[in-house]
Amino acid sequence: MDKRILIISADNLGIGIDQVPYQHFEYLKYPVLIGEEEYRESETYSAKWLLERFIKEKIAAKSSSLSRAEMTNLIEKNVNNYDLIIQVVMGSNMSAATFNIAEEVKEKFRERIPVINIDSRQVTGGIGAVLLRLIDIIKTTDDVEGIKKQAEELVVNTFSYYVTPDLNYLYRGGRIGKAKALLGSVLRMLPVIGLMGDDPEGVVVPVGQGRTYKQVNSLIINSIREKMNEKKADKITISIISGDESNSEAINGLRQELVSSVPVEKLVTGKLHLVEAIYMGPGGYGITVCMK
Amino acid sequence: MTNEIAEIKNAFDNISKYLWRHKEYVNRLNVFPVPDGDTGLNLALTVQGALSNIPGNLPDNILAGEYLKLISDNMLLNSRGCSGVILSLFFEGITEVLENNDFSRENILKAIEKGCITAYHGTDNPREGTMLTLMSELKKKYSEIMTTKENPLELIIDCIPHLREILEKTPDMLPVLKQAGVVDSGGAGFLILLEGLEREFNSRKIPEALSLFAALKINSVVKNLLVKRSLRKKRSDTGTLVQNLGVGNITNARLHNIVHNVQQYLKNRTHNHNNKYQAREALIKDTKEFESSWNPDIRYRYCTELTVSSDKNIDSQVLREQIIKHGDSLVISGRGNTYKIHIHTNKPDSVIKDISLFGNIIFRKVDDMKKQHRNFISYDSIEYEKEQSIFCIVSGEGFKKILQSLGADYVYDYGKRKPSVKKLVDLLNSLKSKNIIAAPDDGDILMSLKYAASLCKANVFIVESKNAISLISLLMGKTNEINKTNFLFSDRINNIKHFIVSKAAKKSSVDGVAVKNGDFFVIYNGKIILSGKTLKDVAAEAINKLLNDESIITIYKGLHVKGNNLAAGLKNKFPGLEFEEYYGGQTQYLYYLTLE
Repeated sequence: MDKRILIISADNLGIGIDQVPYQHFEYLKYPVLIGEEEYRESETYSAKWLLERFIKEKIAAKSSSLSRAEMTNLIEKNVNNYDLIIQVVMGSNMSAATFNIAEEVKEKFRERIPVINIDSRQVTGGIGAVLLRLIDIIKTTDDVEGIKKQAEELVVNTFSYYVTPDLNYLYRGGRIGKAKALLGSVLRMLPVIGLMGDDPEGVVVPVGQGRTYKQVNSLIINSIREKMNEKKADKITISIISGDESNSEAINGLRQELVSSVPVEKLVTGKLHLVEAIYMGPGGYGITVCMK
Repeated sequence: MTNEIAEIKNAFDNISKYLWRHKEYVNRLNVFPVPDGDTGLNLALTVQGALSNIPGNLPDNILAGEYLKLISDNMLLNSRGCSGVILSLFFEGITEVLENNDFSRENILKAIEKGCITAYHGTDNPREGTMLTLMSELKKKYSEIMTTKENPLELIIDCIPHLREILEKTPDMLPVLKQAGVVDSGGAGFLILLEGLEREFNSRKIPEALSLFAALKINSVVKNLLVKRSLRKKRSDTGTLVQNLGVGNITNARLHNIVHNVQQYLKNRTHNHNNKYQAREALIKDTKEFESSWNPDIRYRYCTELTVSSDKNIDSQVLREQIIKHGDSLVISGRGNTYKIHIHTNKPDSVIKDISLFGNIIFRKVDDMKKQHRNFISYDSIEYEKEQSIFCIVSGEGFKKILQSLGADYVYDYGKRKPSVKKLVDLLNSLKSKNIIAAPDDGDILMSLKYAASLCKANVFIVESKNAISLISLLMGKTNEINKTNFLFSDRINNIKHFIVSKAAKKSSVDGVAVKNGDFFVIYNGKIILSGKTLKDVAAEAINKLLNDESIITIYKGLHVKGNNLAAGLKNKFPGLEFEEYYGGQTQYLYYLTLE
């Protein structure tokens, strides 16, 4: 790799920032609003902190799009040190505002540095998986068109499944999409929702539901296997599992079921950030698999 | 949302509403390629699907060209029927040009031209006298009057009178339309769509079309009258009846002419038997042709539609070659890695198999056109409102609520009395759905349901479920599959381990288990496995016997259970398990217990 490449993303990767194995990586923090107060991820304000407040204080929280000024400043700070900037962005249909800001900033720097904006069509671990695979790609090529093409393939081969015991967190955040169909059950259910990279609409879809974590974990693994059949994939290149740590038994169950049923090249146990906890809610967890 | 986007949205909303309002008029014109009476519904669903799937969180600065492209992409994915797919092709071509956000009258002409090319190219064996002709005429007329006004929308609206004339001429271009006495249904739908662009809906009074059953009945009466005369049978009052028919009310052009000519024939007192014979034979031939135009041999029975998506670009030519052998009316729309395929075939499974070679099938639908045709020509034909519904038949108010909340479109609670075939036919028809997935909670209902399915107006896919728990199991799991396909897999209904607890009304010995009068007994997999004096002990013993690694026990209480909290009692015996109790309201058994 001859070009100096900077990768930029945000703190909704489903993995810790220290888990990104790339030196030239910068990230922005999403603003989280609780009432009038704005919070950003820190040692104090973590996913755990928010999830506990959800349970104890029944608070409501929401996120805002990334700041245009912060994104501009970040690129301004680095523009002279790099030949290419790649921004891995949250799915444009999940947050059109953030993607548009990324596009505007790209345009602003058009004369000074090439910027590739990758619409991950994902949130949380899905963005993380695209980012980690992208790092592998730029080890093999620094050609802009080549990177774009491979990134596109990456996106359509990345699939995320989330177990969200209380869908109202997603609903209140305005991200429920087609998973609305799973709301309002008389029986206590565990909904499984998904973001399918090959779905051009790029919105949350209902995958199914179950009564126990074992059922929903099996449902997810079966869906992954079906997806592998469709894609004629013989392995998963990378998988990220992350969620509310208080639900570790269910998360471990999913991890065990995955490794015992599907060949996985690299399995990463990630972590939730403050902004991700807003939508996941207490007990929520998810898995992303990349087949490219 | 900018004013421009709001205006486009408003225009499409108007079109959608206008199409829904007049869909039945369009349905009744549907004779080509198959008289299955659903062109209006298909067009209305296509436009509605395109609009309802546009994400709510669009960026504030989205441009009109991008917005139209979004509508076009959704139209492609949600198009229904031959006419719906052709419409989506036309719109795809238009938006391809308008992506440059140039809405000048010249660029709109280019867009319409591109729309026509895309629609013609995507249609296998394109025929004139269909909506394709109206699209092409729109292009010609628009080009002719383009210099008269600046506003392209006004220009399109100015083309409408010409298109009305062309629509009236479609029977001259497509003989089957002339024989059937109608204008082309797709063309009529396309014209209504353009008329919907006008804010004022009262621009044209859409004719009240005679129902097809009524038209065929009149034709049959007239034919029988003529045949009787030819056989020199005793005259009845039918002649007077036909003479008094108000031809002005007969909107079908062919039938209008037939009745008018027969009335002239009846008035004619000539004694020239040779002339009279010839005139009568010609009229009989007319009535027979009219009848057969609405009752053709449906060569390919299933209207099959699929959307395929792949990681790589799909070669549409190779796709076409692979599929064309399976039937006719092939229309392929789409671009890049996503295509929509519409075909009439006798082998939908083979089509699905072949298309799956090109990528992931993200939508599929199979309509039985013979069944739709039977509905179309019947006296009590149903005006379909929906593409697909899930219908459950269950005993118990509680289960009814549970199944509704899990996504069933309609749940019939039959209480103690199992529904009759007639009741089931009425219920199936009342859903006004083209396809229905029907599932009962009792094996005894299956026979009547199968019979009702054969009598009703919808395509019914019966799930052979045998209790309320299997219905819950059916609706849980992969909800996406139900929404996307007509097919369900039988293994879906047996996913939840469960047993039944009931109380014996007499002494007996069944399956090697002795049951005394008043005893509680447990049924598992259709067999009595144990019995005992107290409810709690019997339920606990069954749980002990059947429990593997399950963690939740759910209790569904029946109608006749009074003041008994079984869950609390069992919780004491099994502190490691989670118990939940719901009201099922079933009449036959005291409890269903599931182990999950």
